[in-house]
Amino acid sequence: MKNPSLPTPRPRIRYVSPRFQGPAVLAFAAIIVIGGAIFWKLVDSELQRVFPLAAIRGHYTFDSAYDIVRDLLSWHLAGLFCGVFLTGSALVLLLVAATRRGIGKAVDSLRASADGDLSTPTGTSPIGEFNRFGEKIDAARSDTLTSLQKIRREAAALAAGGMSAAEFRLRWDELKQRIRTIAP
Amino acid sequence: MSGPEAAGDGPLIQRRYVSGLLLRLCVNTAGGVGILFVILYFALSRPFPGDYAGIFHALRNLSPFLRPVLAVSVLIYALLACGSTSALCVYILHKVAGPLYRMELVLDQYRSDVPTRTVSFRSGDQIQPLAHAFNQWIGTLRRDRQRWLAAMKDAERHCLQDETTCRSEMEEALRKIGEDMARYR
Repeated sequence: MKNPSLPTPRPRIRYVSPRFQGPAVLAFAAIIVIGGAIFWKLVDSELQRVFPLAAIRGHYTFDSAYDIVRDLLSWHLAGLFCGVFLTGSALVLLLVAATRRGIGKAVDSLRASADGDLSTPTGTSPIGEFNRFGEKIDAARSDTLTSLQKIRREAAALAAGGMSAAEFRLRWDELKQRIRTIAP
Repeated sequence: MSGPEAAGDGPLIQRRYVSGLLLRLCVNTAGGVGILFVILYFALSRPFPGDYAGIFHALRNLSPFLRPVLAVSVLIYALLACGSTSALCVYILHKVAGPLYRMELVLDQYRSDVPTRTVSFRSGDQIQPLAHAFNQWIGTLRRDRQRWLAAMKDAERHCLQDETTCRSEMEEALRKIGEDMARYR
């Protein structure tokens, strides 16, 4: 029976972003498939050549076909491993560099915002997902700037005077309320 | 890295994360190639018949027989390697995609005027400086907001005196707030 006093464990969330992880998965799959195809093509042509040659040559000192193609197969498998791993590694490093560049721009943009710069765009990145994220940051900054500019204009209008005490008080309270909505 | 300062100045992507990813990729690729080797080994290691003619005929007929075997084994390799690498890719990259998704939610909340809490990512997540930079920005805005409200409250205190002093103090406070807001551009 379930004990109601025990808190239910919070499920571990695994976020999957098809826009970010999808292309990476496809790129890795393409590397593997291309590597496999090249391996298949090379090894197949070698096997078509090696066995008839061994049959003609005579001196059958081997026990199985594997003894004939052991070195050939080892080299090609090593080549497949190196090719796929090195290309995959290059892709990993490329992804990391693109992430550093894209998120780095977002971080710079937020740091600039803390210094008061809310209008310089975040900039573009080679990965679309980071561009979209940069646009979200820009939209948040733009909203904040618009809100601050409205408050500033209202403060300037109130400071200029020329209105009744009652109206001034009303607008003062409204302005205070509006200031409270900044970064809630 | 312990404090928020360390998180803010830390790298976006940790070197350990990259080396871990490369190591897993290496193991994954080696596993795929290993499976391919095992399939081909079992296909090729069947002993030849004992007599000379038998070996000759076996060798002559081996090439056409091996063609589909090779194709199927490469296909199995490709499917297994693609599957495991995709799983690895999704598992590893969620340490970037997760925080990014969380930040998007926070930005959406911020834009819809929902009270924003301090953002912190899970330990092991990458792009930690992003949360720090966002918190820094929101923190600055909140400090400014408190200062402006305090200035207004301070001006209101003069209303206990006379109306003219109150009004002039309020206008002075508004001018200061306006000047203070000018740094936002």
